[in-house]
Amino acid sequence: MKILVVDDSRVMRQIVIRTLRQSGHGGHDIVEAENGREGLEAVQREAPDLVLSDWNMPEMSGIDFLTTLRGSGGTVPFGFVTSEGSPAMRAQAEAAGAAFLIAKPFTPESFDEALGAVLGAHP
Amino acid sequence: MTVTLEPSLGDVHAVVEEVWSSFLGAEEPILPLATPMPPGGWSAAITVSGGWDAQITVNLTDGAAQAVTSTMLMCPVEDCADEDLRDALGELVNMVGGNVKSLMAGSAVLSLPLVGHGDISPGSHLVEVCRLELTWRGEPVVVTVHQPPTADPS
Repeated sequence: MKILVVDDSRVMRQIVIRTLRQSGHGGHDIVEAENGREGLEAVQREAPDLVLSDWNMPEMSGIDFLTTLRGSGGTVPFGFVTSEGSPAMRAQAEAAGAAFLIAKPFTPESFDEALGAVLGAHP
Repeated sequence: MTVTLEPSLGDVHAVVEEVWSSFLGAEEPILPLATPMPPGGWSAAITVSGGWDAQITVNLTDGAAQAVTSTMLMCPVEDCADEDLRDALGELVNMVGGNVKSLMAGSAVLSLPLVGHGDISPGSHLVEVCRLELTWRGEPVVVTVHQPPTADPS
């Protein structure tokens, strides 16, 4: 499987990829993008099986990325990894078509719980 | 009359401890111990606007900023460039600010983080409502929350 990690922070992309490994999901191909606009291009180019995206990014936010993706017919499973996990933001994410929202700071356990439902058993 | 509520010191402390223990190692906790902050160092700030207006700032010494970056990137301190420090400290204040914002009522928007060497002054309309003086690896770390003055209920 292929996972697209979208975050404007290189440090956070590294932490997300490290946490994927620690949570037992390290066997997947990883593709990276720095904002929602680049994420849209990467979805077209790479056809990932899952998108993990930050919310608060320059150029195009995560929620605009998801809304544009769904508006163009894209159905790839999409989860947010973001510093805000309020009920209002979770509701907004779900309404836009996100499968889950993982709040930073996260643990390998919270990653496994969220990704397990989407990806199934570990690779 | 609008009454603006403030985040409690305990809530902000809990957020900072969770961020530190999750991403910077639970074996080296951030301690509730005030250590004198020397001049200079790094500042990372993020603003919240909407139902709650505020600026959340994290101040660190050069040594603490390098240690944060080295730990988050899992690389030697000498390999961390200023660009890496700005990235890591931006994520740090983004997590602290985002989680503090989640504690507050009302719809609000988080800005992108601002990181610099030296102080980042809050807007002149903001006053300090929360100040945490902490120590990590023997280095001072200060977290502050500024917001507009609370209206006097009298």
